[in-house]
Amino acid sequence: MPGFLLRRLGQAGVTILGVVTLIFFVQRLTGDPTYLLVPETATQADIDALRTALGFDRPLFVQYLDFLAELLRFDLGQSVVQRVPVTTIIASRMPYTLMLAAGALVVACGIGIPIGVLLALYRETLLAKFAAGLVLSAQSMPTFWSGILMILVFSVLLGWLPPSSTGGFSNLIMPSVALGLLSMATFARITRAALLDELSKDYARTARSRGVGTGRMLFRHLARNASIPLITVAALEISNLLAGAVIVETVFAWPGLGQVTVQAILARDFMIVQGVVLLGAFVTVFLNLLSDILYSVVDPRIVLEKAR
Amino acid sequence: MIGKLRSVRLALAAAAFIGLGLPQAHAAKDSLVVDLVNEPSSLDPQVQWNPDSYYVYRNIFDNLVTRDDKGAIVPQVATSWRQISDTEIEFDLRGDIVFHDGSKLTADDVVFSVKRITDRAFASPQLGQFDKIVDAAALSPTKVKLVTAGPYPALLAQLVKLSIVPKAVVEAVGKDAFNLKPIGSGPYKFEAWQRGVQVTLTRNDAYWGTKGPFPSVVFRAVPDGATRLANLQAGSSDLIVTIDADQAAQLKNAPRAKALIGLTERVAYLRLNTTKPPFDNPKARLAAAHAIDKAGLIEGILGGHDKPVPELLTPAIFGWVDGIQAPAYDLAKAKALLAEIGPAAKAEIDLATAPVFDQRIVQAVQQMMTDAGFNVKIAMSDMASYLRRAQAGPEATSLLSFGRWSCACQDADGVLFPLLHKSSGWSAYRNPKVDTLLEEARATLDANKRLAAYKQVHEIVATDVPVVPLYQAVVIYGAAKNLEFTPTPNESMFINRMSWKD
Repeated sequence: MPGFLLRRLGQAGVTILGVVTLIFFVQRLTGDPTYLLVPETATQADIDALRTALGFDRPLFVQYLDFLAELLRFDLGQSVVQRVPVTTIIASRMPYTLMLAAGALVVACGIGIPIGVLLALYRETLLAKFAAGLVLSAQSMPTFWSGILMILVFSVLLGWLPPSSTGGFSNLIMPSVALGLLSMATFARITRAALLDELSKDYARTARSRGVGTGRMLFRHLARNASIPLITVAALEISNLLAGAVIVETVFAWPGLGQVTVQAILARDFMIVQGVVLLGAFVTVFLNLLSDILYSVVDPRIVLEKAR
Repeated sequence: MIGKLRSVRLALAAAAFIGLGLPQAHAAKDSLVVDLVNEPSSLDPQVQWNPDSYYVYRNIFDNLVTRDDKGAIVPQVATSWRQISDTEIEFDLRGDIVFHDGSKLTADDVVFSVKRITDRAFASPQLGQFDKIVDAAALSPTKVKLVTAGPYPALLAQLVKLSIVPKAVVEAVGKDAFNLKPIGSGPYKFEAWQRGVQVTLTRNDAYWGTKGPFPSVVFRAVPDGATRLANLQAGSSDLIVTIDADQAAQLKNAPRAKALIGLTERVAYLRLNTTKPPFDNPKARLAAAHAIDKAGLIEGILGGHDKPVPELLTPAIFGWVDGIQAPAYDLAKAKALLAEIGPAAKAEIDLATAPVFDQRIVQAVQQMMTDAGFNVKIAMSDMASYLRRAQAGPEATSLLSFGRWSCACQDADGVLFPLLHKSSGWSAYRNPKVDTLLEEARATLDANKRLAAYKQVHEIVATDVPVVPLYQAVVIYGAAKNLEFTPTPNESMFINRMSWKD
């Protein structure tokens, strides 16, 4: 176990450095933000002066070394546009991203997993067919459309929920549903596939032939085994959710990380993009590691030392 | 019994909790909620240049001079001014202005503000608007002298944008801290900034001028236009920015909202690269001018609010001359002109555009030019790339580009000079006569001489067609029915000029 952890941590370090290096250079391929910062009437001399003042006239490699040096000091730099530290910006957005991710996960798992079970165990019933249709339509609706539709119905027409922005628990409901519905379909499908897979195995058939009831069958025999693919998917979905849900955040004016990242990309606010990408890489690598460890907890047959 | 009471209380508490964000009924209007597109990038008036910041900070700060709703330059911090010589101008300042921290606004603060924004090391994006000012001096606590490098007729128009910051505070707390907690002398005080969500201002009850009608104002960031519209219709906001004509039309029968539409100083145009085929041929340029149906664009796509213009200005800008005759829409004439040119007219033309512009307009322009016989391809890139290429000079820039220009100064020098003069990266036109006229108009303080020079420029543009001026753009806001607010040509948003009618 310690050997495995060390090896994985080393891999994680290389991955993160690679990601950060890539984003550093890719962003700068098409120039810098100076043109976006100045009024239209600025002359080329004004633009050049600002570029020099912001340090974008230095050779790329020098800027890169600077960036790495700052990173080693745990300094993510300052936003060129907002002129506040990137850590401040990320810290202010993070709680909203966490809230929305949690809300969406509750919706996705809370609806998706039961539907998956339904689809696997009661395939032929009318209810299952209805649920399958529900899953399909939830996955087919683009969020920019379902989101604004929800706002129009529940806020403008009925006045039940606040249309956008933050404030109370009620503000979280619509964005969570809009975002959760997408992952719900994934959870439903994976749950169904995993359960069907387990059901076709010998132990399940044996258990059935002994006359074990459905509930006991599900909770005693199938749940643990079927949860391996679910853990994998959950890790991926959570890291997706944490990276921010751009469209949902934009439609509901929800101040999460996704929204600020897209704005930063458009404004070429490199530092913010780098900070968010770095964070995203950390979260993804960490959650993958966590899911690997969870495998061995759920299924003692998986021994981490050999899992390479 | 007690149990029952407790559960009722719980239910009430839950309802209150869930209802936290619900729209409140407007009894007396305590708080105005404004939905912007993005949050301000910064509230230090001198370190950024973007509308969302401007809407907010302009209510916190007073400027040296300002414009009234009609667009005339009127006193604000300065009560009067006089030209001492061609390069020197003296301002008398109000003596009764107090910053939000209680300190008095004096000539020192004005001098400090000028020197701060013109300091190259400070790296203000607005530097180019003020860098003709070479010196500022306090002559007395209420008198300031500015010195420009040569006569500079657009100085006052530029000073409309100069916010006065308190010297003592800025020097004490430094640039970054001032940005987080700005202190000005305007009708509203900075209260709180919930990053990514909203900025809250409270009324400055000690303001020297017209006081704000609302005790507090909240500026929220709502990036999606459809959501801003829904917010307004649901009553959760009172004023929203940046909606299009279709959305404005949706508000026509809305029970509690209306659209506010105002013509601005912004002019939409097509810039032709006159150094490369086919537009190196004046006939091809004239054909392009005849091919564009401006009225069609406005009526068919823009909802009929914008106004066609025959010159590269709008009536809201100094330098506008009535009666300029631009080539009229005449498809047959355009085709005939292209036929005269022959195969050279078929050269492929890239029409540069960026996502911020209305793509329906760009596509309609492409269609109109194709109908006339041009071979036009749309070249879309992100805004930063578009701007870089648009200013790259005739060699590197596109053959055709669509743009909407505002110098935020309402002076022809901020429009014609950058778009036409050979020294500017934006210009893809080389005409010594026009260069001379633009230089003359920039170098004299005599308004009539300037107008005469600009008139000649307009006439040359109309016949030689380095650009096809399209229309004077409107700005469209959505507002609560009860809100009285007059849109201005420079797209300002002064809360203390608004009112609320119950």
